[in-house]
Amino acid sequence: MPTAASSEAAPPRSSRINKRVLVAGAAIVLPLIAVLVANLGRDPHMVRSPLVGRPAPPFSLQPVGGGAPVRLESFRGKPLVINFWATWCVPCFEEHPALTAAARGLPDVQFLGVVYEDEEARTQAFLKERSSAYPSVMDPDGRTAIAYGVFGVPETFFIDAEGRIVEKFVGPLQRSTIAELVARARGGRP
Amino acid sequence: MTRVALLSIALLSLPAMSAPAEPPPSASRAGAPRGAPLSGPELDARTDEVGALLRCPVCQGLSVSDSPSSMARNMKAEVRDKLAAGYDQEQILADFEHSYGEFVRLKPTLRGVNWLVWFGPLLALIAGAALIASKLKRSGSGPDALPAPRSAAAVDVPDRGTLPDDPRLAEAMRRVRELAYGWPGGVPPKAGASA
Amino acid sequence: MIATLGRTLILLALLAASAGALVGFATGARPGAVAGWRWTRRLAYAFAALMVLANLTMEYALLTHDFSVSYVAHVGSRSVPTWVSIVSLWSSLEGSILFWGLVMGIYVAVATFRHRDDHPEYMPYAVGVWLACGAFFSFLLAGPAQPFAAVANPPVDGPGPNPLLQNHYLMVIHPPFLYSGYVGMTIPFGLACAALLVGRLGHDFIRPLRNFLLLSWIFLTVAIVLGGWWAYEVLGWGGYWAWDPVENASFLPWLTATAALHSALLVERKGVLKGWTTTLVIATYLLTILGTFMTRSGVFNSVHSFTQSAIGPTILVFLAAALIFSVVLLTLRVDTLSAEGRLETGASRDIAFLVQNLLFVLFTFTVLLGTVFPLVVEAVRGVQMSVGRPYFDRMSVPIGVALLFLMGVGPALPWGRAGREQLRSALLPPVVSAALLTILGVVLGVRNAWTLLALAFGGFTAHVTVGELLLPVRQRMRAHGEGALEAFRQAQGRGRRRFGAYIVHAGAVVVIAAVAVSSTMGSSKEVQLARGETATIGGYTLTFVNAERIREPHRESVRARMEIRKNGHEAGWLYPRMNQYENQREPIGSPAVRTGLAEDLYVSIHNIDVEAGSVGLLILINPMVCWIWIATAVMALGGLVTLIPSARGAAAAARVEASTAPLSIEGSS
Repeated sequence: MPTAASSEAAPPRSSRINKRVLVAGAAIVLPLIAVLVANLGRDPHMVRSPLVGRPAPPFSLQPVGGGAPVRLESFRGKPLVINFWATWCVPCFEEHPALTAAARGLPDVQFLGVVYEDEEARTQAFLKERSSAYPSVMDPDGRTAIAYGVFGVPETFFIDAEGRIVEKFVGPLQRSTIAELVARARGGRP
Repeated sequence: MTRVALLSIALLSLPAMSAPAEPPPSASRAGAPRGAPLSGPELDARTDEVGALLRCPVCQGLSVSDSPSSMARNMKAEVRDKLAAGYDQEQILADFEHSYGEFVRLKPTLRGVNWLVWFGPLLALIAGAALIASKLKRSGSGPDALPAPRSAAAVDVPDRGTLPDDPRLAEAMRRVRELAYGWPGGVPPKAGASA
Repeated sequence: MIATLGRTLILLALLAASAGALVGFATGARPGAVAGWRWTRRLAYAFAALMVLANLTMEYALLTHDFSVSYVAHVGSRSVPTWVSIVSLWSSLEGSILFWGLVMGIYVAVATFRHRDDHPEYMPYAVGVWLACGAFFSFLLAGPAQPFAAVANPPVDGPGPNPLLQNHYLMVIHPPFLYSGYVGMTIPFGLACAALLVGRLGHDFIRPLRNFLLLSWIFLTVAIVLGGWWAYEVLGWGGYWAWDPVENASFLPWLTATAALHSALLVERKGVLKGWTTTLVIATYLLTILGTFMTRSGVFNSVHSFTQSAIGPTILVFLAAALIFSVVLLTLRVDTLSAEGRLETGASRDIAFLVQNLLFVLFTFTVLLGTVFPLVVEAVRGVQMSVGRPYFDRMSVPIGVALLFLMGVGPALPWGRAGREQLRSALLPPVVSAALLTILGVVLGVRNAWTLLALAFGGFTAHVTVGELLLPVRQRMRAHGEGALEAFRQAQGRGRRRFGAYIVHAGAVVVIAAVAVSSTMGSSKEVQLARGETATIGGYTLTFVNAERIREPHRESVRARMEIRKNGHEAGWLYPRMNQYENQREPIGSPAVRTGLAEDLYVSIHNIDVEAGSVGLLILINPMVCWIWIATAVMALGGLVTLIPSARGAAAAARVEASTAPLSIEGSS
């Protein structure tokens, strides 16, 4: 004969601490919270460049509109500012006046534009329309951009007189930022 | 961009895990090619395989092989040139890492704490298997430590074929079982299956 | 005016949810408090009604282009079609959380109403937990994610919603499914917490838990695949899954929910694994909150994520609170859920279930570890690194193949310990199907070892699954002498849960096989074509006829007219395009797909020049992809088959069981 006895009918067992659950739970939960808190507010899209403090990658590129190739080595001896830009990039127009003004105001610093994924004719028209105080070079297939670890435009590298990258700046530059970063390039490493 | 055998990449690229312990110095950038120059279909296939290990910087998630962006295509062209020149996979990855940092590698190397991401799941598997084994051992050794008496459990466990003596109750039970467990006619499937 | 109304509704919802949570917990602590339970229910319905009203208010503001409401000013536009205005509700951060509140309100109201008369000792706690979660989302809407902030100087027109929403209808229907899956997990979470608080998880209480878990699981399954389908149809790289953090965020709770659905079966049948099942259900909910944080905090590097805001830290506080609450609750109460039966040792279905659970949890752990690992490395080594597709493919393929194997072996094994003879008769016949499918794969050119293994296990599992589907039919035919059709009708009507479950399995087998084949057997080609030129790939000839501009009210597009011939026969036209939306700088590509049962022809544009008449194309042949979509629909259908009658059947069964006593479990207490 079946009986109606059921273990569920027994009163619930009194509460006691399950140490294994506590240890396992804490081992997963606490590090997870810690890691999330530690990363809060960090922008994962801003990837730091490993090139800062290292020699700038060499290049030899044709200037916009033709002429002899421009080589990195030829700028040795004075600070160099390399700006990666394109005509299709809105922040690039925004920073163009600041860069032009800085190039005019800082004759002992060399400025160089590297055109990123753009057509030469369009670039030439753009430069003709606006005054430019420094040369721009074409970067076919983006090889130089890749060597410099460029993610997008505008990105600007500040290089000291020994050819070492001192700083990388992502996004449109202001006049004051240019002055500050050029000062660092002048003093070698900050 | 071929949708190459992702699975085969996973299998083939085992050697890549034995990467140098420290980020390569910049001098290794222009080292001598360590592999044989490739060409033809082999070059295409290897380009896709190596490209699948590189993160496309502008798309952030897709590999250079998968991404349709022009930057990824440029990077893929560079991978191809390097493979054609005889550089091996690790040299090429190290070269991109020099410019973009460890970020550019989609497949983590075995540096520092990175071993955890590769061996953590293995440790979890071992721990889980041990847990199940110990649970079964407890469950299998003698009668349960629970207050429920064995005879009651034998009736209570729902997949038993036992029926009450009262025919009215038995019919109700069959109906319940049919409804609740989907047993045709309230008879357990594979009669005698349960030990 | 509308802004004030909306804010008031949100504040009232916050009030109702907070009060309801408190009353619910107080009632749960004093069983039998009838008035307390009545008030808990009223407050739950009030919360739901207020959320519905708040959403209707926002829809009204969106449709009337009331730019004095901040969310409308942010996503509204007079130039978009009406349907876009309606779905703009979930196109951006604040609105999506408001919509979340709507889904939550509906779930809470339905679950409360459905169980208003049953499980009196559990329900007040459960509703209390739901409303506590509801209170958090109301707080989020009242503060950090306020969609009803007043705009002092309303603009004349707004920028319009994210163009991705207008670009493809899948982006419109994906979020409601995803939120229905995510938010739905709150219900089983509340029920599991209630079981722990009461200190019992009975034979009949596992049913509502399982049903709501299954309902949410169906939505989540569909949502994940819709997300993949959208990526396939829109992103233009030809794949459907990239292990992006946001994709992983939806996959993680799916894994634990799948594990819990299986372990719940052991709770139901054998009265074992109660604490474990409860833990899985709780983990599922916590993973949905983690996923919410991942998509809305900006901490994870993902294409899909919303931008950073104060919402991230607020969700993190809630996540941390929910995590700690859950660990403490489990630590204190898990031992009260005592087992009634025992697990079989040796080769049995029990063991298959345990191993299945282990593998699903291992899968969850691996995906979670890989997703979070870049953050760990950033914190420990200070280095930015990536864990991408090569890692996830490498780790998930063996686990997926093992799960496919278990899906075949598990159902083939009996519940009890199997004898040698029984094992042989259960496992040998499916091996024939496994061999046949593997040979077929080899003949069709499959060389990848993992794909062949997936085909072998797929054949085995398909054989077992179909066998199990037909078993009751054969039994009826033998026992009752019914014809095949009548037996089928009767059997599936009476054993729908089992029937539905095997339909889900059948769908899952096809999904796994299709993923294995499509990711290893495709071919591709990149071409640059001038007008009139052709490209050939795998029997297809594509001719670029011309490039043309198209103007539509809300967008301007450039498309390539491609004439397709397959093996020399006309096979229609494809129009891959680039869409340019107003107020958007970058155009959005829109690949063209010629879907077929055997393979898809996939064409996406790299570059196009209308004047010069040239186009750069990526052409792919993706075999079996459409089986992923079909089989997912089958899985969802199987889930529904399992769900709908089982709710009725379970209630009837519980009633009969209670009245007939011998099997009574809850009824006698």
